[in-house]
Amino acid sequence: MRTWFAKQMNDAPAVLPDAAPAEAAPRPKAAIKSRRMVYAPVRASGTEARPEGEIRIKAQIDSNSKQIVLMVDRPILPGYSYWTSNLHDAQRLSPLAAALLEQDGVDSVLIHEMNVTVALDLHSDEQAELSARQFGKIIRAQLQSGQAVMSEEFLATMPSEDEIRYGVQSAIDLEINPGIAGHSGEITLTSVVGNTVYIKMGGGCQGCAASSITLRQGVDQSFRNAVPQIGALLDETDHAAGSNPFFTELPSGMR
Amino acid sequence: MLDTLELKIKTGQRGLGRTPGYAINSHEIAFDQVSGGTGPGDVLMAVGSPRSFPHSLSLTGPDEGVWDIEHIALTFHAGEQPYTVHLGAVTLDSESKLNLWYDRPPLLLDV
Repeated sequence: MRTWFAKQMNDAPAVLPDAAPAEAAPRPKAAIKSRRMVYAPVRASGTEARPEGEIRIKAQIDSNSKQIVLMVDRPILPGYSYWTSNLHDAQRLSPLAAALLEQDGVDSVLIHEMNVTVALDLHSDEQAELSARQFGKIIRAQLQSGQAVMSEEFLATMPSEDEIRYGVQSAIDLEINPGIAGHSGEITLTSVVGNTVYIKMGGGCQGCAASSITLRQGVDQSFRNAVPQIGALLDETDHAAGSNPFFTELPSGMR
Repeated sequence: MLDTLELKIKTGQRGLGRTPGYAINSHEIAFDQVSGGTGPGDVLMAVGSPRSFPHSLSLTGPDEGVWDIEHIALTFHAGEQPYTVHLGAVTLDSESKLNLWYDRPPLLLDV
């Protein structure tokens, strides 16, 4: 039987749901079974040759989320992370973050392990590339100067992991989860390492297209209000496995 | 739409010993062109033409035993410009399949 769709597709053969595709590989039925999806690490490529010992920095430009991630070939802030959008705080705590925040259009800076993430207003690929090169120069100069990336005050005023965990959990219980319960969503604190917070998004948040906005504009701000010394906030959710994201199905009357 | 998918697979210590298949949206299909092999240390070049919108795209693991993959270069012909994604080492077994679908990666440069 030929479907209407097959006729429209220049008489291409129709593939019915329970029929094997015409080009199917001759494999035993047992091989076509449910398998667990695994992911290989994605490798960066195209590293420029640089003199031995020189600091290598690779910039990843993400125009959609308006950020540039600068990946350095050595630890910058091992064990901790630092996030700021406040130039005054940065001048006190991190000369590197301050130098980056002073650049045009920069909104915030995150320093975490070997990476520096700069959020900024991106208008074009050309502008992004110029900014990335400038940020690379600043990071390289800072590391070559031998000056500490963070001031002594940073660690001296750092709360313990237990204190951070308590503050974050309180924010989740009292503010965040009650707020997103209407979307059947929930946030779970999975761990605190140094001052880096790892969470998972469940229920309606898992796989939801708006989850990154919820994280960036709601959860992030709430956590930082509770514990200002929080550095990176990392989402460990497997969003591709979400089975009940909010708005998976259109509400009645919207179909 | 994904017109064509090119794979270059370098096998590690434990080989597959046959040409693998791939699946798009859970339909297993064979590659159109294949050269090389999947024995230990071999390099396989394969080209598939899904001509479809992938919700999922995967490389099927062995029916028995394991297959050590050392490196994969995936070139996607989707849209105006092709793009390539490099994957590192991974081992597949009879219970697993390897994700092959990656969006165009962000611009990456040395600075």
